[in-house]
Amino acid sequence: MSELYQALAQGLLIGATYGLLALGMGLVYGVSGVVNFSHGDFISLGMFMCLALYSAFAMDPYVSIIITVPLMTAIGALVYIFLIRPMVGHQFLMVVQLTLGLSLVLQNGILMVFGGEPARTPSFVESKLIILGDTVLRLPHIIAFVVSFALAIGLYIMLRATDFGRSIRAVHQNAHAAALMGINVGRVQVLTFALGIGILALAAALLLPGTPIQPNMGLRYTVITLLVVVLGGMTNFVGIMLGGLIIGIAEAFGTIYLDGPIGLLLPYIIFVAIMLFRPKGLTWSSAR
Amino acid sequence: MREEFYKTLSSPIWWGTLAIAAIMPFVLSSYYVHILTLALVYVALASSWNIVGGMAGQISLAHSLFIGIGSMFSAALLLKLGINMWLGLVISAVISGILGAVIAWIDFRFQLGHLSFVLITLAFAEMGSIVVEGWDFLGGASGLLLPKDTGNFLAFQFGGGHGAFWMMLGLAAICVLVNVAILNSPLGYYLRTIRDNEKAAQAIGVNILRYKITAMVISAMLASVVGTAYVRYLTFADPYLLISPVITIEIVLFATVGGLGRAYGPALGALLLVPLGEILRGKLGSTLPGLHYFIYGIVVISVILVTPRGLLPLFERLWARWRGPAVAGKS
Repeated sequence: MSELYQALAQGLLIGATYGLLALGMGLVYGVSGVVNFSHGDFISLGMFMCLALYSAFAMDPYVSIIITVPLMTAIGALVYIFLIRPMVGHQFLMVVQLTLGLSLVLQNGILMVFGGEPARTPSFVESKLIILGDTVLRLPHIIAFVVSFALAIGLYIMLRATDFGRSIRAVHQNAHAAALMGINVGRVQVLTFALGIGILALAAALLLPGTPIQPNMGLRYTVITLLVVVLGGMTNFVGIMLGGLIIGIAEAFGTIYLDGPIGLLLPYIIFVAIMLFRPKGLTWSSAR
Repeated sequence: MREEFYKTLSSPIWWGTLAIAAIMPFVLSSYYVHILTLALVYVALASSWNIVGGMAGQISLAHSLFIGIGSMFSAALLLKLGINMWLGLVISAVISGILGAVIAWIDFRFQLGHLSFVLITLAFAEMGSIVVEGWDFLGGASGLLLPKDTGNFLAFQFGGGHGAFWMMLGLAAICVLVNVAILNSPLGYYLRTIRDNEKAAQAIGVNILRYKITAMVISAMLASVVGTAYVRYLTFADPYLLISPVITIEIVLFATVGGLGRAYGPALGALLLVPLGEILRGKLGSTLPGLHYFIYGIVVISVILVTPRGLLPLFERLWARWRGPAVAGKS
């Protein structure tokens, strides 16, 4: 029984961060119809920036977000303006290929700077454990869970109650009509993409403590993010957070209960099954 | 419609190019022969992918599975069960074909859109690499080492260097020819109709399921056969190379750079980029690992931004412009 709680708790904690990773991608897809296949490589970029700041100034990952978040947001805006915007409106698949190319550039740029050996970035909370009954939780996971949910709620309120949030929703629903209402659609798209990448810098710091990082791990994060976004119905906010929790739990159950490769396969199997039988994602209501 | 294909078959340019390519091993040093052999591997792979990705417009990221079956599985059959690699090649190709048919059927049955197809095939590819890395029969994470290539043709050995080059040249030529044949056959027209407007294709009575499966099976079997030949050339079946989704991404990028959906586009992309990458890796690989992939990435981004249809159409336009004034001047 304790194993069950352990798996559930671990899955929920990590799943919340997966949900956060996916929210950025979902927002971007909703506003500009772009699916970014270099999403995961931006996560590893964020992580390696933290590593660089740690090696240079012994900065804790949680502190270095003061630098990484604005930097990554700016990078996101530049990438959108110079690389992705010229492609929007072209065939959808060209953006896929462009971001695949970008993924190669990022991954190998990191490899050239940092080398291929797995690296760790220590943090002051890294090895702290919290014991509830017979369930052992790692403090970084709890921090990640709390911050992810707080951010998700913050984003939700931002979308609902601020002018910028309303303009994002307006562009998502009907870009043409939004433009007629005086919304600068191009600006909203750039800002959303930048916001999506900026969120990744935060998520990277949350995932970093205790995780060994390698330049080539980006693709796996991209795949996980895509799984979550698709499960959540692409643009449905609640659905995406739910999808994150499901993938997180599937991963935890797979590694704890099932031996060897089948355990690692579990999230993918669940994804393919849901994809085939609920192609619009988990949530029923037509996504807004 | 097939005339174009027979014209290619009887074209002196085609055979001339092949003949010049075939004498390369006598001209170049073994290092450059190695680079050309690798380029030919990717010409063959990119051309086989083009049947699905270029002509039918379905960006399949599952091709690492077919390459992986062709390489890892046939190597495992030889090493673990003592099955001759020729037979292993056939078995792997059949399995790849069946798997390709299943993927195409899933695509049709569940009406996946373009994006869902990319995602599902990527999920399959990730699953494949996890399975291979965790399954000892296929070598697990450490891979499989094939016996030394002694040139015994009956055991699928070509004597290394030169022999492997000719083998790959033959395979690459076959893959490109299959592209020419399909493009000029009814199948090619159906596939392009499906790519351009699937609903309209269905409305005028194109049997979408049948042609999608046909294209995927041909593409998968070719990729599998190339995989077997590639692993024999490499001698070492490395799961991180052969069944990693990265190999598919490389192929997709070569095809995109060259020109999607064109018979010679993917070949052009691979012939330009692979030697560039390999030479860079040879010169700077120890100081800057990953530089060649970095350059691939930059090239593909630039090509997509400058000429989204690839380099082949760009070259054709330049050629036409260069010839244009000359022709006009004559008249």
